[in-house]
Amino acid sequence: MTSIYNIIDGNRAVSGLIITLIYIALALLFGYIISGYIKKLYTDEEEKTWLYPISGRIVKFFEKFLNEDKNKQMKFKEYFFTLIMFNLFAGVIAFIFIFFQHDFPYSYANNHMTLSLTFNTVISFLTNTDIQHYSNTFDLSILSWTFVITGLMFLSAGTGFAASMAFIRGILNDNGRIGNFYHDFLVSIFYLIFPLTILVTIIVIAMGIPETLSSYINIYPIGSQAVKLPLGPVATLVSIKNIGTNGGGFYGANAAFPLGNPNWLTNIVEYISFMLIPVGSVISLGKVFDKRFGNMIVGVLVVIFVATSVLTFISEYIGIPVISSLGIFTGNITGKESYLGLASSSTFQVGAVFTSTGASTGGIVDYTPTGLLGLLSQLVLNDPLGGVGTGIVNIFTYIIFTLFITSLMIGKLPELMNIKIGSKEIKYSTLSLITHPLIIIIPLGFTLLLPLIMGTFYNGFPSNISNLLYEFASAASNNGSEAGGFLTNQSYFNYLDGIIMLLGRYLILGIQLLLAQQFAFKKPKTVYDKSTIDTGSVSFGFMLLAVILMIGLLSYLPIFALGPLYAWAKDFNFVVMGWI
Amino acid sequence: MDIREVLINALKGFDLRKIIKNPVMFITEIAFFISIFIIIFPSDFNVPYTSVYIYFYISVTVLLFLTVFFSNLSTSLSESQSKAITSSLEKMKISTKANLLKDGKIIIVNSGELKKGDTVLIRKDETIPSDGEVIKGSGYVNESNVTGESRPVLKLVGDSVTGSTKLVTDEITVRVSVNPGESFIDSMIKVVQNAVREKTPNEIALSIFLSGVTLIFLIVVASIFSLSTYTGIKPNIDILLVLLVALIPTTIGGLLPAIGIAAVNKVSQYNIISKSGKAVENAGDIDTIILDKTGTITMGEREAVKFYSNQNYDYKEFVKNALLCSVNDETIEGLSIVRLAKKENINYSEEELKDYEFMPFSSETSYSGIKNGDKYILKGSIRSLSEKLNLNDAYINGVCKEISLKGGTAIPVASAGKFIGVIELNDILKPGIRDRIEDLHKMNISTVMLTGDDEVTAAYFAREAGIDQYIANSKPDDKYNKVIEEKNKERMVAMIGDGTNDAPALAKADVAMAMNTGTQAAKDAANMVDLDSTPTKLIDVIFLGKQILITRGSLTTFSIANDISKYFVIIPAMFYLFPELGFLNLLNLTDPLRAITAALIFNTVIIIMLVPLALRGVKYTPSGASDLLKRNIMVYGFGGLVFPFIMIYIIYILLGLGGIAW
Repeated sequence: MTSIYNIIDGNRAVSGLIITLIYIALALLFGYIISGYIKKLYTDEEEKTWLYPISGRIVKFFEKFLNEDKNKQMKFKEYFFTLIMFNLFAGVIAFIFIFFQHDFPYSYANNHMTLSLTFNTVISFLTNTDIQHYSNTFDLSILSWTFVITGLMFLSAGTGFAASMAFIRGILNDNGRIGNFYHDFLVSIFYLIFPLTILVTIIVIAMGIPETLSSYINIYPIGSQAVKLPLGPVATLVSIKNIGTNGGGFYGANAAFPLGNPNWLTNIVEYISFMLIPVGSVISLGKVFDKRFGNMIVGVLVVIFVATSVLTFISEYIGIPVISSLGIFTGNITGKESYLGLASSSTFQVGAVFTSTGASTGGIVDYTPTGLLGLLSQLVLNDPLGGVGTGIVNIFTYIIFTLFITSLMIGKLPELMNIKIGSKEIKYSTLSLITHPLIIIIPLGFTLLLPLIMGTFYNGFPSNISNLLYEFASAASNNGSEAGGFLTNQSYFNYLDGIIMLLGRYLILGIQLLLAQQFAFKKPKTVYDKSTIDTGSVSFGFMLLAVILMIGLLSYLPIFALGPLYAWAKDFNFVVMGWI
Repeated sequence: MDIREVLINALKGFDLRKIIKNPVMFITEIAFFISIFIIIFPSDFNVPYTSVYIYFYISVTVLLFLTVFFSNLSTSLSESQSKAITSSLEKMKISTKANLLKDGKIIIVNSGELKKGDTVLIRKDETIPSDGEVIKGSGYVNESNVTGESRPVLKLVGDSVTGSTKLVTDEITVRVSVNPGESFIDSMIKVVQNAVREKTPNEIALSIFLSGVTLIFLIVVASIFSLSTYTGIKPNIDILLVLLVALIPTTIGGLLPAIGIAAVNKVSQYNIISKSGKAVENAGDIDTIILDKTGTITMGEREAVKFYSNQNYDYKEFVKNALLCSVNDETIEGLSIVRLAKKENINYSEEELKDYEFMPFSSETSYSGIKNGDKYILKGSIRSLSEKLNLNDAYINGVCKEISLKGGTAIPVASAGKFIGVIELNDILKPGIRDRIEDLHKMNISTVMLTGDDEVTAAYFAREAGIDQYIANSKPDDKYNKVIEEKNKERMVAMIGDGTNDAPALAKADVAMAMNTGTQAAKDAANMVDLDSTPTKLIDVIFLGKQILITRGSLTTFSIANDISKYFVIIPAMFYLFPELGFLNLLNLTDPLRAITAALIFNTVIIIMLVPLALRGVKYTPSGASDLLKRNIMVYGFGGLVFPFIMIYIIYILLGLGGIAW
């Protein structure tokens, strides 16, 4: 008689959990190390960083060229307009370049993309999403990879971090202005993203990831036909993909491809590098504002992170009951790289959806239902830790809600660090928070009614529902990981995803900057006299967690019920199967 | 209260133009209409139409109707309260003839025609035609129809008078300070009426939040239609409607308007005019309250509080003597000595006083007393008595010094060539003030007391009343400076004022309450006016402000926490065709339609159950923020999580006992 205890017992479960916790601990450690540095960028003290002698000059050079500097502070309208125009400009250039890439040098005849695929790909990289609907590495030329895609990866990360600088400045300022976009963008790139990318590139080259301009080599495996092994600036791409929480790898299989992620050590390096800026930014909040406030946020996020990491690992570890009941306790190894193992793979995967990286170490479509639930719940929460920059802004909208409710509960008018939260602030927070579910659930409900589209799904009910939800949730949260399970490269999904990514990025960012503008008229002050809400307290953290779960997660219960929960109940319910 | 009118108004509330202001209830009403259509045209909605389902549809329609009706009922109940208040205010307004002074002549006009700046003459027993300021003469005014206080109040030049009150003595000239329709009573009526129409900023913010939540659930329920269609289950629109109404925050959405109106009504019942509903909410947010010592913390009059007999002198004998020498003394001190003596059960007979002659207090002698030949009992200041009688008693000197350290006044009594004891006169704390200040402390509101008295007196009373901070020897602009100082520290300040010199401070304070007895300038600068001039009422307003916010926050938390149980009842019932999803059926309710009905019944009944809570406000015991938060999370958060599970289960069982099995 198979029992759940047969499977749970054993050293492998314990060691797997330990690996999971080590990963999380490392992410926190390195995040803590960089948080002081990020704090200086948030508080406009970049002159005090040790990179100032080099980066300061580069930034000044560009600023002189653009005739902009940090003292030319902008209000919301100008800031956001500049951000949009800058992104639009880059997007159009990238679109033209990729659409006509076969006419440029360093390209081959098969470097070609359809209109809808080009549209999707450009938006995907522009919005920091990096959903890859193209399947073949040869869809993009080496030149497209080196300049366009890499360029967009830097640009999207820089834009995200600049927006977070503006948001923090909005809270800190009292002059009604939120900063200069050009300055913020340049600082993000040259003080943070670029130096870290160089550092990680060097590390991963040393660990065996290729970096070359030649496009492929032919391999002649014994007893098989010749295989073209694509090559290119893989190391650079791996670095910026992770540092910028982009997630789009050179190889279609992403971090599951041996040349993109050769061993357990690169797995850790990649994991740390995409956790680095999001975790560092969140920890730096404690240094920018108030230590206890920061600790509370980190605490709440760690609770969510550990819970989902453990859920996904245990789900994968228990594996597929049909196989386990035969006495083969391998866990669910389908679609996972054997050299990484279950714990490293699943932890990496949870990290990639917890931040908006979306890199993958395996076929997400093959995850067990509850393992997939762990990943999906992060996506529908708009990636709690977010991408470069966007994470801290998202968490603030939840904090504003929580402050609103808790303040009322103690009979005070709500305020964030002594800045009143009025109807406008609530309006923008509400808009920012409901946009995310709306741009997931509306397309989902619509698509389900189109038999023609649903016919391109392979796995049948209920997996199709999970996969469809995963697709839209990944696009909306600008995550970019893909469960697949259907024909992704079709114009319906190319265009629809493109629109979702645009809204998920710019609409939400715009609303959040508008929120920052609201806060930009008064200096913040954290006071903990006993009459106000103590934002550093456990009860507040508890309420924040409750608000995140109730508002963010609960609305998806019906979809979860007919997706992963039904799949679990059908084949994995231990009670029904008599395992417990 | 006219119950018929309340019910009719609740029905009128179904008017779509009215209800659209409340998105949650608007959605519920639309759901109600759709459910009617489902009963009439079932084939158009493609729903099953067996007798079992017909009963179900009818009960859903009835319950949806009741949901909206109960919400409307709570609003119309509070509206009828405010109507009662406005009509009683309207009754106060007395239209009268006024003697308008123009170019030295008297013209008789209607009181409604008086404009700001006009001068009117009011004679004895005439009604004051409009709010204004006395510019000539003085007289007693009976303000009982506005304040309920029947004792006439003396009005001097510079004092403000309220329209519709009556001059009972003398003759005064008044400069009208308001235009028609802007008087006190008018503005009070306006506030009560506005509470029905206008939302405060905080209320708007909460409505936006609730609308956002409603929109999400609307989309979620719509997506279930797609999900069911895709999985091949025919979606039953009626059940989707139930799920929608159960998920959107109907509890708080339905009660929100009533909470605000009820609060403003309560303020009016306290006899306070608040210039806006916002001011009441702000009151809940106060960090510092500035209080005057005299009149707010203390009674303001020096009274006898204790007798001290001299060494070796009989206590009762001393009190008797003190009483005798004060019987004919009609000063406040004298009267209070008599009162205190009576309290100690010391009485006198007219016989005893028969031969004595009373010597009233005069500023030359500085004492008063009674005399019969060479027998005398004198009371007065220690200096004057010592000089006159050539006495020097170390013990008495000590007692006097001790009393003055407490901020009191010592009145030694001398008889037969020696001091027989000392009477302590002191200002006394208002009854109950200590507890009120203690409540403020529990709310972590810091208290500041201002007084013109010296350091010693100020310190004594601050200690006695439990005040945190005091300013002694205060000058007129000290109040203003203190308000600015607190504002600079980003603290919300409440204060009370009545004089013109308080006006700048009142204008700066977040919550400023002026006394009705105060000057017009003070009333203009304040955002609340207390008609009975009872300063401690400010504390009641602070309580009330907190209570509104807590009621809103707690009901919101409760409402959203309820969703979990409703989800876990309705979703498994809805998808009962997938028995695998049975693990979501936490209550193990086997009859799906009955389960769904039970959830909807709970959703409807909870609104009417909470109406009294919404109108009365949640129970609020002053305590620190973190304790209060923990308590409310437990009660309304966890309570909101668990309570509906229990209730739905009970309703489900009861429905079964009632023979309803679908």
